Amino acid sequence: MSSDQPFITDESQVVTETRDARMTGQGDRFNSRLREAFGSSPFILTKFDKFLNWCRGSSMFMLQFGIACCSIEMMHTYAVKHDLDRFGSGVPRASPRQADVMIVPGTIVSKFAPRMKRVYDQMPEPKFVVGMGSCTISGGPFQEGYNVIKGAEEVIPIDIHVPGCPPRPEALVYGVVKLQERVANGEASPVTVKPYELEEFSDLERDELVDKLADQIDEDELVMRYNFADSP
Amino acid sequence: MSLERPDTADDGAVERTPDELEALLGDLVVDRDDHLNAPGFVIRPDTVQETLSILKEQAGYDHLSLVTAQEYENRYESIYHLKKFDDPTQEVSIVVPADKDTPVSESAEPVFRTADWHEREAYDLMGVEYDDHPDLRRILLPETWQGHPLSMDYDQERPQIASLPEHANPLQEHHKDAESDTMFLNIGPHHPATHGVLHLKTVLDGEQVVDVEPDIGYLHRCEEQMAQNGTYRHQIMPYPDRWDYISAGLLNEFAYARAAEDLADIEVPEYAQVIRTMGAEMSRIAAHMLALATFALDINGDFTATFMYAINDRERVQNLLEDLTGQRLMFNYFRLGGVVWDLPEPREEFFSKTRDFLDQLPESIEEYHNLITSNEIFQMRTIDTGVLPPEVAKNYGATGPVARGSGVDYDLRRDDPYGYYDELDWDVVTEDGCDNFSRLLVRMREVEESAKIIEQCVDLLEDWPEDERNIQANVPRTLRPDDDTEIYRAVEGAKGELGIYIRSDGTDKPARFKIRSPCFSNLQTLPEMANGEYIPDVVAALGSLDIVLGEVDR
Amino acid sequence: MGTAPAQLFPEFLVDTFGLPGVLGEVVASLIGAAVVANIILAFSGVAGPWAKRKITAAFTDRIAVDRIGPFGLLIIPASAVQLLAKELIIPEGVDRPTWDIAPILLPASAMLGFSVIPMGQIGPLNIHLADPEVGLALVFAFASIASVSLVMAGYASNNKYSLLGGLRAVAQNLAYEIPLIVTAMSVVIFAGTLQISGVVGAQTETLATVAGFDIPAWFAFVNPFAFVLFLTANLAEIGRNPFDIPEAPTEIVGGYQTEYSSAYFVLFYLGEFVHIFLGGAILSVVFLGGASGPGPESISFIWFVVKVWGFFLFTQWARAAIPRVRIDQLIEIGWKGMLVLSFANLVLTAVIVGVIA
Repeated sequence: MSSDQPFITDESQVVTETRDARMTGQGDRFNSRLREAFGSSPFILTKFDKFLNWCRGSSMFMLQFGIACCSIEMMHTYAVKHDLDRFGSGVPRASPRQADVMIVPGTIVSKFAPRMKRVYDQMPEPKFVVGMGSCTISGGPFQEGYNVIKGAEEVIPIDIHVPGCPPRPEALVYGVVKLQERVANGEASPVTVKPYELEEFSDLERDELVDKLADQIDEDELVMRYNFADSP
Repeated sequence: MSLERPDTADDGAVERTPDELEALLGDLVVDRDDHLNAPGFVIRPDTVQETLSILKEQAGYDHLSLVTAQEYENRYESIYHLKKFDDPTQEVSIVVPADKDTPVSESAEPVFRTADWHEREAYDLMGVEYDDHPDLRRILLPETWQGHPLSMDYDQERPQIASLPEHANPLQEHHKDAESDTMFLNIGPHHPATHGVLHLKTVLDGEQVVDVEPDIGYLHRCEEQMAQNGTYRHQIMPYPDRWDYISAGLLNEFAYARAAEDLADIEVPEYAQVIRTMGAEMSRIAAHMLALATFALDINGDFTATFMYAINDRERVQNLLEDLTGQRLMFNYFRLGGVVWDLPEPREEFFSKTRDFLDQLPESIEEYHNLITSNEIFQMRTIDTGVLPPEVAKNYGATGPVARGSGVDYDLRRDDPYGYYDELDWDVVTEDGCDNFSRLLVRMREVEESAKIIEQCVDLLEDWPEDERNIQANVPRTLRPDDDTEIYRAVEGAKGELGIYIRSDGTDKPARFKIRSPCFSNLQTLPEMANGEYIPDVVAALGSLDIVLGEVDR
Repeated sequence: MGTAPAQLFPEFLVDTFGLPGVLGEVVASLIGAAVVANIILAFSGVAGPWAKRKITAAFTDRIAVDRIGPFGLLIIPASAVQLLAKELIIPEGVDRPTWDIAPILLPASAMLGFSVIPMGQIGPLNIHLADPEVGLALVFAFASIASVSLVMAGYASNNKYSLLGGLRAVAQNLAYEIPLIVTAMSVVIFAGTLQISGVVGAQTETLATVAGFDIPAWFAFVNPFAFVLFLTANLAEIGRNPFDIPEAPTEIVGGYQTEYSSAYFVLFYLGEFVHIFLGGAILSVVFLGGASGPGPESISFIWFVVKVWGFFLFTQWARAAIPRVRIDQLIEIGWKGMLVLSFANLVLTAVIVGVIA
């Protein structure tokens, strides 16, 4: 709903920041200090990295995180019939401090996006995100809504997208196993440019809206600013 | 027959004709604005409380089902849809116009507590202000939102700012002295016990809850806007599945189908009604199973046996529903005038699968009774906690298992029949305990009743003559109901009275589409149940309310 | 008294390898301690990431880990390394030294408890580090340090959920420690000694012979009432369902450990399991005849393992099936029920023992 035209035909008009960031190189998501200190050459470190990646891919703790419709299918994925725990990634932890993977199961709306970002920030590195369902890709069936964020990737980086509305549990199992495989191979998605970030209110660019809200919001309060006109 | 209501000799149940009501209200009535479902009286914006209390006290309209706000070219309007708990077919709509430039009308909150949140929502989305409202703030959108999104001149592309404030302790001042002090605790929006994204602003005195205020809107997906942008015939039906997404999809679709069919005057073939009824009750079983599972999760504390078993039973129902509709969760199976396709072939296989499920269901329920309801610790935790007296429940407009767990005998399937329910033999379940335990028991017993209904439907469908299997009435390709026709129709969803208000404007899309969500009203009762209790009881009470945030926030 | 207890582990080392003097004793003790610690760590390592999942899965009709190595066993190193290699988040405003000490204290205190536990024999090797005269009192003292650790963690985390968890831990431990110890005292009256080898030795006689089977005079058979009391109090002491309220994931997120990540979380997780095993060890020493069992003395370590893991299984069964009690109910059960019952048990035992003697 951003513009009257569904597609931008003029190549020079396309905003490519997000795309470029996705295409250039791998993000430094596996923070191996040893690797930083010694560079990438020594054999022993390469083997150690391989081992570490295997460990990370083999054992993953999920964040117990439910948002919307997809969380019902997510519960089914953990439960008897589909049993995600077979792959070593089916133990949900309630505290984000102890979780490795966050499955985002549902629609993100304006009020929730800052909170989700906060939860994501509370997780320790290396952390991975599985976007479950169409809503986390683009807003899904609710994309036209005045309150809906057009995809979770506007707020946090996503490693694996599982499409569907909602995806079947089998699809989610496949998505998670695919993520494990990628992690074990040392592949991580680059940290993409995210349009919406948490900022302190005083850091916002002054404009009409900010001036209007100045007496409602404290200077150092964290806010998220949405530009719905620019959203895809 | 069991469907007869137990006789309650109550003056409130006496039916009055619209003219008698008009005489009762006297000068308060400015004009008549009848809706398809009920007589409508237009009143002045400053006489809301007076009118509603006359209707409540003298005419017995004790159930404020829904408050709808809408904007016309020349005015705003708030509609109070009133019903009786004793007989929900007796309805009346009170229409309160408000000025276009400064839309202000009197609040109904002193008469009906439930109006509190409904009016906040109307303010939030439509911009109507209510005088005398105790706490008129935004409810679904962030506090800092600009504009009222369902009003006519709202620009959807304007930038917005959402803040992440540190909430202050509302009781800090008058609870802080030498002896006691309170602690403010945010439970949610991401917390294992909130069943989604609910935020409870809780004030604790030690482990005891002094004050709890639910903060909703973390899943406000603009469902009403979505429906208003869709055409009646095809584009709206997928959305109801996503209101109450706990597999209760068919029940929600029933709500839209009923409202729209009554609006457009479509007669549904009987065969389709039987299929609808059967599918809806399967959905109800699935929904109640999840309620049971998550409640056990809240009490037990881990993904334990009861949770897993209940999910397993849900899988079985979902398999049946998948056979029937082709989908596990978002069915999109109903069409206006019928259903999209007939039962799966071979029919015998579907029937025998369904029968197998029904046969093993009593065994599962027995197992749940062994595991949880007969467990002493479980009883200790749930009996006499989260008490919701029937009067309070009615005042808050609580419906469904929450109301029935408080002894309010109210079930739209029986009291305002639709589908094929009035032809079948089943009972309405009520419990008098008013506590967490009775609400759970009501759900478990309702599963048995639903099984009874499904069984009868299966019998009927099996013997249905082959040439009379008509699944779809003749419905025009484009539906254009008459201009300015208004209707409010409700069905018994998994969580209670799920109603839909539609106003048509002569086009193929509704001009106003308002959803009456049972969870929205039920969740409002949480402070009544939780204040003074311990934190674990709040969690248990929340679990026993069985809210779905998709439906609360819409 | 039964047969004379075999030589303690460090003494055995000193004798076998002829280690001289004080230095030799120190070295022998350290070696012994390392062996015992490794046994316990191995138990916990197997239990935490693997056995717990498998057992829970068995209760709930699932399979659980089976793709990572044979029977999913490689999940154990994978989980350990993975967790240790994660980022250690130190939240703003934590009370630094306290916050760091707490996760070390929990497994350490439980490990200390094992120093006086006789773990049976492997061949001539008697895995028993020390046998002081006040052994039983000592082991309870070590076990109860855990609650200090939980309070420290809860208080220092600067998180309200942690604080609630810490406070719950204190209230719970106060309410259950006393019945636990008072019940254990009734056994001491029977045995007439606080020395652990003495308590175990008192259980070696035959209580009765049924159909050719000798039923040993384990205190669980002598006084089943006390056994049940002790078992319940022990569940509360180690904080398992129905008494897992300091952690209570659906109520207070993770309780005292909410803010801990990475290595510190591993320590807490480990500490919990060491504690369960210590609980099982105390139970077997006090009520189940220590490491004794049918068969030759030289394989009694197996019986110790069986008993301790049996207790672990019991805690997991309770976790899967029993709802959690509320904090006020827990306190009420502790102070008004368990305490009274345990004292009644103590007095009764004293009278009976006095009359018989």
